[in-house]
Amino acid sequence: MQDHHFDENLERFPIAMAYVPWQHLSCIYDNLEEGFQKGTIFPELDKPFTGRRVVS
Amino acid sequence: MNGSCSERERLLKDISIIDFTLVELNEYLDTHPFDAQAMEYFNHYARIKNQMMLDFSSRYYPLTTDTSMDKKEWNWTLAPMPWENAADPYPLACETPPMQPRNNTGKGGYR
Amino acid sequence: MWSYERRLQFPVNIKNPNAKLAQAIMSQYGGPDGEMGASMRYLSQRYATPYREVAGVLTDIGTEELAHLEMVAAIVHQLTRNLSMEEIEKCGFAPYYTDHTVGIWPQAAGGIPFNACEFQSKGDVITDLFEDMAAEQKARTTYDNILRLIDDPDVCEPIKFLRQREVVHFQRFGEALRITQDRLNEKNFYAFNPGFDTVADCGCNN
Repeated sequence: MQDHHFDENLERFPIAMAYVPWQHLSCIYDNLEEGFQKGTIFPELDKPFTGRRVVS
Repeated sequence: MNGSCSERERLLKDISIIDFTLVELNEYLDTHPFDAQAMEYFNHYARIKNQMMLDFSSRYYPLTTDTSMDKKEWNWTLAPMPWENAADPYPLACETPPMQPRNNTGKGGYR
Repeated sequence: MWSYERRLQFPVNIKNPNAKLAQAIMSQYGGPDGEMGASMRYLSQRYATPYREVAGVLTDIGTEELAHLEMVAAIVHQLTRNLSMEEIEKCGFAPYYTDHTVGIWPQAAGGIPFNACEFQSKGDVITDLFEDMAAEQKARTTYDNILRLIDDPDVCEPIKFLRQREVVHFQRFGEALRITQDRLNEKNFYAFNPGFDTVADCGCNN
């Protein structure tokens, strides 16, 4: 048995459906505590919120 | 007392960090079950976590009922609950004198 | 089955009570996009999935959401435990306090009690996975909204952690959907329900 290996050739994706790109493990944070504080051990999944609302 | 309390908190945090790494790898492996590198990371950290759980249990109290060590008391119930603020812990019923009824009104009072 | 580890997934140590914040954060306990709904949704959906990998993802993420439920309750508890009567009245906390004192009860910020209408378990793996990806985005947006209200770092850190978990879960459900798509005919993913139908009809109704 083999792992799913999805190649992301976009022409192969039929319409009327949605697709999430496949994560390939590249690295995890060397400092595990840093990953813990952020909420993920995968740097490529780290997407912090930086929004601000200013009404002028 | 304060020294051993913060040492306990440090070990608990280290367990949380390792366990979180395992949760992340677990969920990754659920969709990548044959990823050898992820499997290697998982096996490595799982061994470390098991050892830390036994270590914590022997020094303080068990974090799961099956890491309960040979003690005379059932530490599982007597140990702090996870949502207790370290600075403001719950008292133990067995160490608290019974509350006496008071003649005056409750905290809010009538106006 | 479930076993319990006597610790929070991420520490919560809040020094300053705050009834206003508690009311907003309570929505992530029993509200429409909250952790109770998330765990019940995923744990309910897993029975009807046709593929073991998908059931595995639903089980493990559903279990993690129970740990998040506990964290949200700990945050609300620590924000309300030592409130004075003046603070309870001034911050609009009196209606909740009347029915629950400073106990924890699952409801939305607006007062609607937690109920199963807050999630769906449709019995179709494609539909259920889209429901799950949408749920993770809704939870993320709720945490974005909560983050705008907070300036206490004790509250900020666990909320940021919970928000990031939603992003990771979204990726996992997306991968579960890719695995499912890979099992189906790409000419028509919707020809049949792989967890219910045994054959796909040719479509002739004679």
